[in-house]
Amino acid sequence: VSVGSKSDLRAEIERLRAENEHLLAELGRHEREASAREQQLHKYAHDLNETFKQEKARREELQRAYRATVIALSELVEARDAYTSKHAERVTAYALVIAQAAGLQFASPQQMEFGFLLHDVGKVAIPDAILYKPDRLSAEERLVMEQHPVIGSQTLSGFLGEAAGVVRSHHERWDGRGYPDGLAGKKIPIAARVFAVADVFDALTTDRPYRPASPIAVAREMITAESDTQFDPAVVNAFNNVPDDVFERIAAEMR
Amino acid sequence: MTRGVLVVDDDPFIRKLIATTLEDVVDFELHEAADGMEALEVARRERPDLVFLDVDMPRLNGIDACRELRADGGTQSATIVMLTAVHGDSVQRSAEEAGADLFLTKPFSPLELLRMVDQLGTS
Repeated sequence: VSVGSKSDLRAEIERLRAENEHLLAELGRHEREASAREQQLHKYAHDLNETFKQEKARREELQRAYRATVIALSELVEARDAYTSKHAERVTAYALVIAQAAGLQFASPQQMEFGFLLHDVGKVAIPDAILYKPDRLSAEERLVMEQHPVIGSQTLSGFLGEAAGVVRSHHERWDGRGYPDGLAGKKIPIAARVFAVADVFDALTTDRPYRPASPIAVAREMITAESDTQFDPAVVNAFNNVPDDVFERIAAEMR
Repeated sequence: MTRGVLVVDDDPFIRKLIATTLEDVVDFELHEAADGMEALEVARRERPDLVFLDVDMPRLNGIDACRELRADGGTQSATIVMLTAVHGDSVQRSAEEAGADLFLTKPFSPLELLRMVDQLGTS
């Protein structure tokens, strides 16, 4: 081995050592950068998690408050109507189970529930003298009374969407002899046809000043007798497919 | 009103992250710089309202860049947010002396970043 090649070798080793050091420094820099980025990513993940939880809690709170407001409003309507307590909540529960038995799926189940709960909200605009009149209403008084679905649906159209149709049409009849629009058959919104059965079922199965509550079997007979006249036969079928104990449980929970 | 925001960091990943985080939350025009020298150049040209300034950068570090921005009539009124490391107590002191207004500790919380910019935007 020559002297010259020895010093060449030494120089080569030096060069490699320097390159190695440089690469190690580079590597260290990349590692620090990667670690900084990873830590930054964790911060983002943490904040995202927090934000999501907060947003979820807020959404639930908003839902709860919204529902409580609607129920309060429906109770206010009932307080004046002096009908029976919890009528709106019961009818709503009945209507929902009948709708389910009929295989109906509403675009917004919650809006529909709110429509059921607030079906009589228009009654607040009916004068006491008419609303509380014990005797038969005159033709003129009846016209005023029959405005309550119209007033109700107009009041709620801003936030109930398609469920406002339940409010407007809950007194329509399958044969077209109902009010306020005299709609017949499938022209009546399906939710309103369902509701009509639930409403009458609740009226029949609760005590009234002038008569005691009917047993469920009797109520079923009376409603079935009005199938195809007052009620949509398909809805009456669905109603008859709901077992007694489902209605009994609702009635017991909401008395 | 559209605000000018200058993000200065030698890591393009961080610059992009800050820009994306602020997107559509505040109405702003984004400028970027990769070191202190470039920051001064862009700031003098674009006159940003808000500057995010990393401390540890090649050529000219964030502290010195901050001092320069404060000394220049065209850029001295900008709100300067220093991006500092967690263990940077002495760094924070010298940044304050250099004229920084606010601090964001790295790795920063995106929510803190958003709140900071939101407050600056409405005040």
